[in-house]
Amino acid sequence: MIQSNIPRSGVAIAAMLCGVLLAVSQAPPARGATIAAHVRSPAGAAIADAVIYALPAASLPLPKPTLKIPIEQIDREFVPYVSAVQTGTTMVFPNRDPIRHHVYSFSRAKTFEIKLYSGNAPSEILFDQPGVVTLGCNIHDWMIAYVQVVDTPYFAKTDAQGGAQLVNVPPGKYELKVWHPTQKGGGEPQAVVVGQAGVAASFVLDVAPRKRRYKPPLDKMHY
Amino acid sequence: MAIHSVRQRIIFLFVSLVVAIQVIALGLITTANQQVARDSSTAALQRGERIFQRLQQQSQAQLEQGAAILSADFAFREAVATNDTATIASALRNHGARAKASAMMLISLERVVRADTLLPERVNTPFAYPDLIKEAEKDGKSSATVSINDVLFQLVVVPVLAPDPIAWVGLGYQVDDATARELQQLSGMDVTIASAGSAGAWILHATTLPEPLKADLLRHLQARGTLLPNEIDLVGETYETRVTSLPTGAGNSTITILQRPLAEGLLPFQRLNSAFFWLALASVALTIVGSAVIARKITDPINRLALAADKIHQGDYSSPIVVEQQDEIGTLAASFDQMRDGIASREKEIRRLAYRDGLTGLDNRAMFQERLEQVIRIAKRGGSYPSVLLLDLDRFKAINDTLGHPVGDMALKEIGQRLVGTLRASDSVARLGGDEFAILLPTGDAAHVGTVARKVQTALEAPIVIEGQSMDLGASIGIAYYPLHGEDVTALMRSADIAMYVAKHEKSGYAVFDPSYDEDRKSNLTLLGELRRAVENNELCMLYQPQLKIELGRMTAVEALVRWHHPAKGLVGPGEFIPFAEHTGSIGIITRWVVAAAVEQCGYWHRAGLSLRVSINISARDLREREGLPAFIAEALRSNTVPAGLIGLEITESALMEDPAGALATLERLHALGVTLSVDDYGTGYSSLAYLKELAVNELKIDQTFVMGMESDRQNLAIVRSTIELGHNLGLSVVAEGVETEFELRALTRLGCDFAQGYWIGRPMPVDELEAWLRAAHPA
Repeated sequence: MIQSNIPRSGVAIAAMLCGVLLAVSQAPPARGATIAAHVRSPAGAAIADAVIYALPAASLPLPKPTLKIPIEQIDREFVPYVSAVQTGTTMVFPNRDPIRHHVYSFSRAKTFEIKLYSGNAPSEILFDQPGVVTLGCNIHDWMIAYVQVVDTPYFAKTDAQGGAQLVNVPPGKYELKVWHPTQKGGGEPQAVVVGQAGVAASFVLDVAPRKRRYKPPLDKMHY
Repeated sequence: MAIHSVRQRIIFLFVSLVVAIQVIALGLITTANQQVARDSSTAALQRGERIFQRLQQQSQAQLEQGAAILSADFAFREAVATNDTATIASALRNHGARAKASAMMLISLERVVRADTLLPERVNTPFAYPDLIKEAEKDGKSSATVSINDVLFQLVVVPVLAPDPIAWVGLGYQVDDATARELQQLSGMDVTIASAGSAGAWILHATTLPEPLKADLLRHLQARGTLLPNEIDLVGETYETRVTSLPTGAGNSTITILQRPLAEGLLPFQRLNSAFFWLALASVALTIVGSAVIARKITDPINRLALAADKIHQGDYSSPIVVEQQDEIGTLAASFDQMRDGIASREKEIRRLAYRDGLTGLDNRAMFQERLEQVIRIAKRGGSYPSVLLLDLDRFKAINDTLGHPVGDMALKEIGQRLVGTLRASDSVARLGGDEFAILLPTGDAAHVGTVARKVQTALEAPIVIEGQSMDLGASIGIAYYPLHGEDVTALMRSADIAMYVAKHEKSGYAVFDPSYDEDRKSNLTLLGELRRAVENNELCMLYQPQLKIELGRMTAVEALVRWHHPAKGLVGPGEFIPFAEHTGSIGIITRWVVAAAVEQCGYWHRAGLSLRVSINISARDLREREGLPAFIAEALRSNTVPAGLIGLEITESALMEDPAGALATLERLHALGVTLSVDDYGTGYSSLAYLKELAVNELKIDQTFVMGMESDRQNLAIVRSTIELGHNLGLSVVAEGVETEFELRALTRLGCDFAQGYWIGRPMPVDELEAWLRAAHPA
């Protein structure tokens, strides 16, 4: 999903680099194993934008999130469409468009609203409850983004090939879960034991195709 | 209705023509108009229907849009997201009022009602119209007409987006008369929205129809449901009607009824029709007046002509016909007038000819009868007793014959003057024809009539002197009284006629009719009269049948046979009138006529060099006369200078046997004249030979029954043979009658018969024919 946006603007490339940097900096000092997960549809098609996260079976001392995770507004879209963050993560909503946006959420996990702004959002939002937060723009009805807030630092999002790598996972027992914004069925949680070598997991998830709402084209003035 | 006058016919024709045209035109126009009106009304309705659908779509879209805007309202979404029931309900009310919705409800994604401003008791129950949600899931919005507690709502369902759906909100807009009026204003049609209610009865939720029509429409709906006909009557007025179903969230049916009064479409045409009707009425009225004027122009002169014709019919020729018109009718009237003059003058002439006797200037028979009729009519009313006197002159024929017709005519004129001189002015006298006169006495008793009769007799007895010649003329008078001897002209005239013949017969001068004359003698007397007239009017004629002298093979004799050309009966043979004439004693007249005619003819032939003996039949009665007949014959022979030998007299055997002695004497006298005497029909009268020998006869005529029977009957042959022998032996010549075959003629020749007569020789012929026949038989 991120890659699909790369060609669109130079700003996107910068964002991607920034994201990679954030992800790298998130890794704990003690190196762990990797859970290689793969999500496909019952028909066998690769499913992108699915969030895979591993919840430790026993309570472990987990690293706290330290980074601010952004969801940008580029070209009157939220980028990325799907994000996963650890509970307690602060999120920022930089506006890269020349017009203002009004970001809101009525989700139970986090209800908030950032009224019309441009550039960097005037407020950072702390996502302190696990759950799905659906973001919208009060001005642009078609703009939508999902944030899966999970109580674990071990999560990843499937790429276009349906693959996701949960890295630096300390050995132990985990409940491996999958989530997708338009999921209809399947994707039962799996119990995995992570050793030194790491594990592979595979999910079959039934999802509906993303239904984009009508987005009016830009006028001459780019509004 | 029977039409008897030209005028009525003209008016009737014109008016019915105009009425027919107008009716047809009116019919065509009305039919066409109604069709056009219906078509345009239907078209208007269809147009209205499309407009209505469009309106509905628009209003639905508006409602949906409104709902969408409402649901997108951030504050509203915020309120919904609070999940607080009281907050949500109050937000629904608030925002519902903003959208002018009359009912608001919030439905969870699980399709459970979370809030309902109309029916709070439905909270936490499943939403009643899941199909609407299904549709909204697909299209982002949905709407339907739903009935809630028999109140109709347009229910719009839209999602509450955040920006994924977090709930559904339903907005209900009540459908009521205001809705219908709004639609009516835009569509121009009456709009009714109805649904089948929960109890099964139909409910009119919204309508633009006034109260009574509403009830009527409801009645139609109850009866026929959604299958309303295209035209229905509402309180006597026809409405074009279209029914469309509205989509409903639940199974009940909601319909929209669009209506338009048919009369609305018909109105302009009705105005046209009524204009045309008055125009037609006016044209019919004008036609009546116009045709009446024309008809009057035609018929008035015709009526005047008819009146004039009627006057002419009644015999009034005096009034001239005046029609002052220069057209065909004027010409007709002029012709009519000329015709009137012509008829008048001709009738005058006809009258003169018809009622006057040209010779004497007296009335003629027709006039006399008319007068008599008139007198009888008066007599029937007034008790007067007219009488008729018929006069027949005696010896007039002799005057005519001897002195000629001009003298006779003068005599008749003189007699006419004498009669007129004898009578009163009130009496009338007429010449009926020939020497017959009639006198009509309008009044007077028998004594008076007798006096008149005697006066007339006396007047006529005085000798008439014409051109120095004195003549004696008498008259026989027959008298008949009204009503004793006849109650009408015919009867009275006949009675007088009979009486006259009686008078003549009895030489009594005059005779009053007696009913005894009128018994069986009546017809005889009539016949007698006719016979007399026949003799006088030359109705008798002669035929001659040739007799072959066998020895010479030549026709040397003829038998004279009398025939009567009766004016009514045609040719009458002697057998039909001679016996009657013998019986009534008038045979003498006929015999004399026949003798005169035959002798005259014989003399004519004799002078022409044709020597033919002419035989004349004499009756038994004639023989009794002793003196008269022989003298008459002698006179005839002398006056015609005919040799006595050329005349034969035939007397039947039976006539001789009637009065043998008397016959003997007469025959002697006749024989003395030198004429040939023949015994006719010999063999039928039982005469004795001795008697025969004594008779001064020269010839025997064998009766034709024997001659005709010769061929088949030997006895007859023997009789013929012996008769011939007998005749010859007595020195008599023998004539065979009824020779009809060659065989008979040969037999008679062989037997030495002297003469043969019959159809084989020659039939009885008129003079001209006989002469031609003789020339052919004996070429010179």
